[in-house]
Amino acid sequence: MMTDSPAAVARVAITGMSATSAFGRGTEPLLAGALGGQPAFGPAGRFSVQRRRAKAAAELPGNPVLADELATVIGAACDQAGLAPPERGSATLLLALHTDAAAARDGGARSVAGNTPAAVAARSGLPDAPRVYATACVAASTAIADAAAMIVSGRAGPVVVAAGYLVDEDSFALFDGGRVLARDGQVRPFSWGRQGLLLGDGVAAVVLESAASARHRGASPLAWLAGWGRAGDAYHVCQPCPEGSGLGLAIGAALRRAGIDPPGVGYVNANGSGTGYADASETAALRRALGAYADEVPVSSTKSVHGHALEASALLEFVLTVLVVRAGRLPVNAGYLAADEDCRLNLVLSAAREVSCRYALSLNAAFGGASTALLVAAA
Amino acid sequence: MTASPAPGGARLRDGHAELTVLARSRWPAPPRTELPRTELPPTQLPGIPGFIISSFSPLAAELAQRCLRQCFGDPPADAERGGRTAIVLASTTGDIATAAAIASAVDQGRAVPPLLFYQSNPNAVAGHIAARWGLAGPVVCTIPAGAGPSALADAMDSAALLIEGAEAEAALVVLADQGGPDGDRGVAVLVGPAAWLQQTAPEGEAAAVRDIGSMSGTP
Repeated sequence: MMTDSPAAVARVAITGMSATSAFGRGTEPLLAGALGGQPAFGPAGRFSVQRRRAKAAAELPGNPVLADELATVIGAACDQAGLAPPERGSATLLLALHTDAAAARDGGARSVAGNTPAAVAARSGLPDAPRVYATACVAASTAIADAAAMIVSGRAGPVVVAAGYLVDEDSFALFDGGRVLARDGQVRPFSWGRQGLLLGDGVAAVVLESAASARHRGASPLAWLAGWGRAGDAYHVCQPCPEGSGLGLAIGAALRRAGIDPPGVGYVNANGSGTGYADASETAALRRALGAYADEVPVSSTKSVHGHALEASALLEFVLTVLVVRAGRLPVNAGYLAADEDCRLNLVLSAAREVSCRYALSLNAAFGGASTALLVAAA
Repeated sequence: MTASPAPGGARLRDGHAELTVLARSRWPAPPRTELPRTELPPTQLPGIPGFIISSFSPLAAELAQRCLRQCFGDPPADAERGGRTAIVLASTTGDIATAAAIASAVDQGRAVPPLLFYQSNPNAVAGHIAARWGLAGPVVCTIPAGAGPSALADAMDSAALLIEGAEAEAALVVLADQGGPDGDRGVAVLVGPAAWLQQTAPEGEAAAVRDIGSMSGTP
């Protein structure tokens, strides 16, 4: 009889996943877009940007509806995991969502999450989500870490983590007013001349469960969540700590949980928002956590092609990191112009570098110094 | 039932963290008879520089301040304990006033005030609390589906996950709800190792520590 080793008990199986981005619906166009390094940015098309400083975003055509898109990716992820409708009723749903534009205009709204959580659960055949994660740019990675903690502690069986953001006028105006959007229409993480981030559509879902649960159900892991870490900067309301303290701690915690040393990491999908302070801080965090190996490990930020999907971005990037580990090819850090002394990293600058990547990190950082690191291991 | 030390220092009972309530606060503030001798009941929320229009962030910060002071004294917390303390900021409403102000500016074709960008998500005030008090544990912001006591219970579950998983040794749990017929309401609870009670600074303030089950200010 097979038994789980201690390491296998502590890790979590990823048995299903799906994603929608400006590249299209499904994981194949997302991976192809990232490997090709061709950004999906274009003129923002769902509302007028005439009065805005920035003009670009990464959008699906038309006006997709968030609850529809979430129900689609959840259905696809559950199908891939072999989680049949009767089993879905006893699974756990965790959601990460941005403020709902309709709720913001409804004086009687119960919460800024609006009606989407209830609609998504009902349409997916899943129980209502106990909470919506609202931790800004680390909302979805926080939900993944909580799902993993719930699974490892035996609190939960299969957990469906889903997150979604579709480019909207409120966020565009807000981020434009905050002067963080790139006016040149490109996101250039870790590059000299980077101007900021650009918003992008992102909707994704993953099914996580214990190795025993996957085996019992006959589901084959696509990959493993081998480690996760979370920490804060204790530094500032919105600026990251220049020394990368919180993210550095999060990376260290993820590696310790998986029991691997820095050289075991074959790729880092960086937070890399393309903003001045944040990219320099992340570079410092990598150096802090990985030591001299920070000069060697291949790094790219896939926000350079799919944009920033706010509360959903970490899940889109996590799915992409799993796809990369499976494909053995690394996404390009697009938009790069020239070296920035504060961001000295081994960036993936040429198309689709091939590697044997056993472990890959997906990093995220947010306002308030909230930082997360998710370590994906090949199946 | 068995109890054993958890990796993070909390005790486990039946595999789940047994959380000790180290301090608590609530808003509206309790009457003077329930407060430490050194405190006066405030009548309105103190503002925070850089935060405008909405009471959400001042509410969360004031709840945190009143709670943390009971355990740590004046800010910041000592580096050893602060470095191992997480923040769980839950709200069943979220910052409705900020969201409405952004929507109103957009609908009226006005520029969105830049300061609203910074306070547009709950991480901002969580970062304010973390920086002021030196809390370097994980930051988790949620919108619980339930209301009242079940929302607080959900936030406590989030804290328990962090402590059980050794991601933090203690957690400041803030439940802050905006508006409604009774105005802004909230509670804050600091949970962590019972041993920290022995280090609680000013005598008399520890008297404010009570079991969470008897909390009367739960929204």
